[in-house]
Amino acid sequence: MMKKILILITIVLLTIILFAQDSTHKILIKKATLVPVKGETIEGGELLVENGKIAAVGKNITAPAGTKIIDASGKFVYPGFIDGYSHFGLAEIAAFASTVDTRELGKENPELKVAWAINPHSVHIRTSRINGTTTALVAPTGGTFPGLSALIKMDGWTFPEMSVKEVATSFINFPITPRPPRGARLGPERETKLDVTAKLVEKIKDYLKEARHYLELKKLAAENPSQTPPELNQKYEALAPVLDGTLPVIISLEKAKDIELAIKFVREEKLKAIFRGCAQGFQVAAKIKKAGIPVIIEDLYRGPSEPEDGYDAPYRNVVELAKAGIMICFSSGTDPSIGKDLPYHAARAVAFGLDHEEAIKALTINPAQIFGVDNRLGSLEVGKDADLFITTGDPLDLRSEVTHLFINGKEIDLANWWQNLYEKWKTRPLKE
Amino acid sequence: MKKKILLSVIILCFILAGTSLSRGAEKSVLLKNGNVITISGETIKGGDILIEGQKIAKVGQNIQGDPGTEIIDLDGRWVMPGIIDSHSHIAIEGGVNEMGNLMTPEVDIKDVLYPEDINIFYALTGGVTTIHTMHGSANPIGGRGIVLKLRWGKSAEEMIFKGAPLTIKWALGENPKQTNIYLPGQTRYPKTRMGVEASIRNELERAKDYLSKWDDYQKKLKAKKGKKPLPPRKDYRLEVIADMLRGKYWIRCHAYQSEEMLSIMDLCEEYGLKLVCLEHGLEGYRITNELVKHKVAVSTFADFWSYKWEAYHTMPHAAALMAQRGVLVAINSDDAERMRHLFVDAAKAVRFGGLSELEALKTLTINPAIIMGIEKQTGTIEPGKDADLAVFNRHPLNPYTVCQMTMVDGEVYFDRAQYLEDRKKAEEERKKKEEEAKKPKEKKQKREV
Repeated sequence: MMKKILILITIVLLTIILFAQDSTHKILIKKATLVPVKGETIEGGELLVENGKIAAVGKNITAPAGTKIIDASGKFVYPGFIDGYSHFGLAEIAAFASTVDTRELGKENPELKVAWAINPHSVHIRTSRINGTTTALVAPTGGTFPGLSALIKMDGWTFPEMSVKEVATSFINFPITPRPPRGARLGPERETKLDVTAKLVEKIKDYLKEARHYLELKKLAAENPSQTPPELNQKYEALAPVLDGTLPVIISLEKAKDIELAIKFVREEKLKAIFRGCAQGFQVAAKIKKAGIPVIIEDLYRGPSEPEDGYDAPYRNVVELAKAGIMICFSSGTDPSIGKDLPYHAARAVAFGLDHEEAIKALTINPAQIFGVDNRLGSLEVGKDADLFITTGDPLDLRSEVTHLFINGKEIDLANWWQNLYEKWKTRPLKE
Repeated sequence: MKKKILLSVIILCFILAGTSLSRGAEKSVLLKNGNVITISGETIKGGDILIEGQKIAKVGQNIQGDPGTEIIDLDGRWVMPGIIDSHSHIAIEGGVNEMGNLMTPEVDIKDVLYPEDINIFYALTGGVTTIHTMHGSANPIGGRGIVLKLRWGKSAEEMIFKGAPLTIKWALGENPKQTNIYLPGQTRYPKTRMGVEASIRNELERAKDYLSKWDDYQKKLKAKKGKKPLPPRKDYRLEVIADMLRGKYWIRCHAYQSEEMLSIMDLCEEYGLKLVCLEHGLEGYRITNELVKHKVAVSTFADFWSYKWEAYHTMPHAAALMAQRGVLVAINSDDAERMRHLFVDAAKAVRFGGLSELEALKTLTINPAIIMGIEKQTGTIEPGKDADLAVFNRHPLNPYTVCQMTMVDGEVYFDRAQYLEDRKKAEEERKKKEEEAKKPKEKKQKREV
């Protein structure tokens, strides 16, 4: 009898434990305004999450037993934001070289993988997801070929757990005409030195030619055993998927003339390019559109490239690029400590005329498409990863607050460095 | 005699002409039908502001101007006091740091003002009307700063905010320690916070000696007994520090860590120095009781952090927490670009730490005005104050707000509608020129055919 009772208790306990675990896998969000990005907004909508994926979107969804119900009355549900360019996990405190892993020495490092250097427990990952960022591109920097970026989810115990794409893009840093130094007088002419830039582009082309040559020799050797293969060159190896157009390459640009040069370069080299920055893109928007190259917008905490572009050029640029039909996405930029500002950059662009819906797309489905993961991310659609958030209002509004964030269907703890400090220090007794 | 009379008549004519001219310039402007965020009182929906000359004359509803008053219809737009940036480094020619010496109070930003700095215009496009532009933070006792009104297009002299107290920059922590700056050559003392404190104390003691030598000299001079005394040697550095001890300068001390802030407040009290504000003060939220007790303000960032170790232990809630606990807080830019959207930074204090919207806007207006000692002239929309105003198409804390117009002393220095119109015209002209440039080529081609 005693044994039977014990077995029964064990079974009950196990069921409870199993159910408890199960409830984290099955979540039904109810009474929310769903903004699926793809498809119409659903008022009083419901969304079911099962096994890390979106299982149903709509109304009157029957939830399986053991589903955790979240009442989101008066709140909004959006797909998680995707940050198009960041250094999350690569840099902690800018002034401490020992905490910064963004930039390797040397000019040609196309084989470097950020995947190696990402710290999944950087404080900036936690503080940067509080406004809805669930995925980010983590980029290396410096030199002509800085290396290979990774596309990560903003949660995971280890890098492999975070990784969406261990290798997402390569990079080519174009020679960029420098900005005038701060406080410099308005000079008579600061013309882009086209010939200098063009010469430097020739150097890049030479390097790619060498890589092509290496790959050709290697191919010949594979086909013909009598041929000696070239000595292994990791750098050229890393460029192989770039040169055959399978791996996208991000090219950072600022000036209109450089953009034009880059369009020509991409066409000649037959690369799958993504532009980043393009501060003067509005001057050559039609050409970018014609080339079919998407643009990652840099953080908008920046002034115009040239005073002549107008004080509002950074914001106006986004509006003009979108108007030209170019696929754009936003990014928080090179400072991971202000990654949370991703939606604020979008808001600045909206303030200056970008359509709100376009802005939301540029934070969700557009980057998903640009990085080739729109089958998994970027919208609230059945079968996609359950990366989404519940917010009290317009996610671009500073005053809205994300109350729930899910990555791979897991509810994410929104506690972070700031919140912990705040909880502690607001309790210091006030003196009379 | 006749000549004299003629001369005085001519002079009198000039004086009369001058006064009548200045009276003629005393134009009135009536801003009508806006949402007036006065800061000093309630926000007035459908409010009007009457400006006479450089001053605000009336604030309220249904204000009628005299005939001849220029009327600007705000059409429901929002108007707030011109934004005041209490910590800026724009409008300065060349570097902002005199690195050559440890102590550099003898240098003055006033001497290197650069009124053509485009960043002045950029600041205006973000509703900023007044700034405190300062020396950098390389020195424990640095150079002198200056308060400017952003009268874009005017001379440096005309931009100076008349009557604003004189300021001097002090700095503690990593910058004077030079632990984050790698300069060629030998490193210099101090390299620790201990050294920073000691170097300040040492300099103050030297200045006290200097003061007493001069006092002694003055005494002997007055006594008029015996030989005429020889004056001590003038030392421009110690002269300024002596003036600081006399209370002539308001000290603005760059500091991050709570403990060094506590120490410097005690040190300044010990020497009877007027420490008005701690710059950045990212750990100020830890010592709100002490800041309140010492009546020291904090001029800080909304959420700029983590760029160095002393900027790590902070949070975007810091500004709100300090303000809620009674500290006088200003949110500043310290950066030419951030200056363009300080209103966004104020909104961050609403989101993080739950500062009220009014208190958040105070961090950009009356609070910095008090820190800079210009609160009687600017910082709120009240009769008698300077007509420094910023007009926004939406509430300034709304994420989609855009500054539409900025006025300094009743004069419009930025008008977005006008700016867009000018740009359109310029673009049309450029296109015309381009087309004209193309024409002769076409003709040539035709001839060739």
